Amino acid sequence: MIPTIAFSTPMIGWIPFLQPAGSLGNLWWLLMIPLIFGISIAYRATHDASIDQFWTRVFVFVTKSTLAMGSLALVMYLFVYWIIPNLQTN
Amino acid sequence: MTNDTNQLDEPLHWGAAFFGWICPGLGQIMLGHRRRGFLAMSGILGLFLCGIFIGGVDCVDRREDPLWFYAQAGSGPIAFAADWANSALLKTGKVGELIESPPSNPRAPAPLVSSFKTVTVASEIGTLYCALAGLMNIVVLLDALKRRPIDRANGEDAR
Repeated sequence: MIPTIAFSTPMIGWIPFLQPAGSLGNLWWLLMIPLIFGISIAYRATHDASIDQFWTRVFVFVTKSTLAMGSLALVMYLFVYWIIPNLQTN
Repeated sequence: MTNDTNQLDEPLHWGAAFFGWICPGLGQIMLGHRRRGFLAMSGILGLFLCGIFIGGVDCVDRREDPLWFYAQAGSGPIAFAADWANSALLKTGKVGELIESPPSNPRAPAPLVSSFKTVTVASEIGTLYCALAGLMNIVVLLDALKRRPIDRANGEDAR
């Protein structure tokens, strides 16, 4: 992350739609969930032959995608912070 | 993209695809799949507006981020409107102020950039949201291109 003036912008001075949201801190990754939600609505609206139980299917899609990406993140974390340091010390 | 194999014989609906680009989901609505169209519209416009909300209009920039803009332009005229807002409001200094940034060439004059222009995580995520909205709208308009109109689709989802 590149530190900039706006990175420390407090949310109280934030002008939505004109200025990037400030102070996301370490919670920026939570924005992945609404992103997947939007993608899943558009995907399920066009992909399925029937749109019965639409919101159930969207919920399942969001849950599966979030768990899959979380698992990948966990694997990458273990690889970078555990496996590679052990390789260097041995 | 239904599982119906008869859909392969369906003629291409270029008008629906074009209007699907003008307004996401409009192609499906024109073909009679109203609920499907409004759902796709809410997903894509929701993604795009969330992107602008999080990253500001600066996350759509035709001149400085052309590769991102190619993906964002899939959302239709709304992407060009956001780019116009970026140029007309931020780059002219009508909103915020113009400040000098370090020049890439030391002999060149320092370029002026908006104080709202940043390289923060929020800006990157906003750019990503808008780009994914554009790419998903391409999926939706390709669906409109081949989807069977509702009067011949046996009332599949007439709601």
